[in-house]
Parts: sequence; structure tokens; C-alpha cells
Amino acid sequence: MNIRWGRSEFAQVTVLYFARSAELTGLREEQLVAVPTPISSGDLWALLLRKQPRLVALQGRVVLAVRRQYVAIGNQQLHLQDGDEVAVVPPLSGG
Amino acid sequence: MEEPPRDIFRLSHDWLSVQEVVDSVSSSRCGAVSVFIGATREDQAEGRKVIGLQYEAYEAMVQSELSRLAGALRARWPSLLHVCIHHRLGWVKVGEASVVMAISSPHRQDGQAIQHAVTQLKASAPIWKKEVYDTHQSSWKENSECSWSQGEELLTDP
Repeated sequence: MNIRWGRSEFAQVTVLYFARSAELTGLREEQLVAVPTPISSGDLWALLLRKQPRLVALQGRVVLAVRRQYVAIGNQQLHLQDGDEVAVVPPLSGG
Repeated sequence: MEEPPRDIFRLSHDWLSVQEVVDSVSSSRCGAVSVFIGATREDQAEGRKVIGLQYEAYEAMVQSELSRLAGALRARWPSLLHVCIHHRLGWVKVGEASVVMAISSPHRQDGQAIQHAVTQLKASAPIWKKEVYDTHQSSWKENSECSWSQGEELLTDP
């Protein structure tokens, strides 16, 4: 039997909450530790939901911003590093 | 001497000065300045009246998104000179300008650029607006230009 042990990477990221997501969580920001990387944006959202279940109210009407780039919730692979900012982004209403 | 094109973006807790935005883009080379002023209407719906708005922003990302917006504008309208966008943050009274934008150009043929800039700002700038009503309820607005908006209103009780 041949078992291959891959080296798992983890990152500590800063999660930023805005607008409705800040109201739902009661927070502006928090640290998320031991986030597996790489990780799909869908799995990262699932992690956030486990930490802050009230965010489920935004399901289907939210994206993330990782290192200030918008990322849809889905299959996109994210390579996270310690200190990266991950923002929860409800629908925009600037202008 | 050729002056380099300028992009000036500002988020402000104070009321916006249209003159200041216009002055930021003025130049002896520009024959035309387009200005857009976005203000909030006093909406009355379902028995409640908007008494004010609350704006917040992911400030560092506003800068990068507006820089990207200006870059896209210049790619499509290469003769644009300067672009200036000022946007409010914090509490804004109904009727006050929430955004002032000005674009200068040698000729008026670039006049459509500003409409495109408004659309792009609404689609991609990480800024959020909450309407506050005289019933003490509030509602986060969603731009239809934003691709992850659902368009339904979520009314929150106090």
C-alpha cells in the first residue's frame, strides 16, 4: 500500500464585514485561522457560514473580495496567504 | 508642455463641492467638461418616508476599483484628460449630492464617457447605501447594475 502524505497549507486571514453582513455578524472584522489553502471560494464561504451562521441570509446575493479582487462563490481556486484580506461583499449600492 | 492625465478620487464625510470637482479636471487643453451629480430622491413608498442615508465603503478597494474604472474609460475614450470622482460617506441628508463626477476632454464628442463611468461605479465600487425611514426601519439598497444583486428589498426593523 502506497500512502502519499501531501503537505497541507493553512493560512490566517482577516475577514472584513460590510453593510448587511456587518449587521448580521455584529462585527467589522475578525481573524479566521487555519484556513486550508488552496481552497475554493465555495468552501471558503461554507467556512464563513460555520463561523457566522447568520450570514446565510445573504446566500445567493453575496460575493467575496480576496486581496481586493471580487470572487464569485463557486469553484474558483483561491491561494491564500497569511494576512490576506477576505471581504464579505453584499450587493453594491454606490453612486 | 503636456500635462499627464489625472485621476482624482475622494471619499468624504462632508458635503461635496461641485466646483471643487470641476476645478480638479480643468485644464487649458480641455474644451469640454462633463459633470454628473447623483443625489437622493425623497422617496415615499408604502407609508414610509426616507429621512436620510447612511453610506459605507471598503475604502482601500474603492481606490483600486475606481483606478480600474478610469483605466477602462481611457482605453475606450483615449482623448480624455482628467477624471475626478468624489463620493459621500456616513450620514447624508435626502437631497444632498452623494456623488459628483467630472471628466475633461478636448472636445465634447467624449460626452458619453461620463454615463459609462456612472454605470461602472454602480456596478463595481464597493460602496453601500442604507435608507433610513421615519418608521425607524432601514433598508440596504442594491444597484441593478451589480451582478449579484437580487433586486428585492430587505426591510429591517429597528
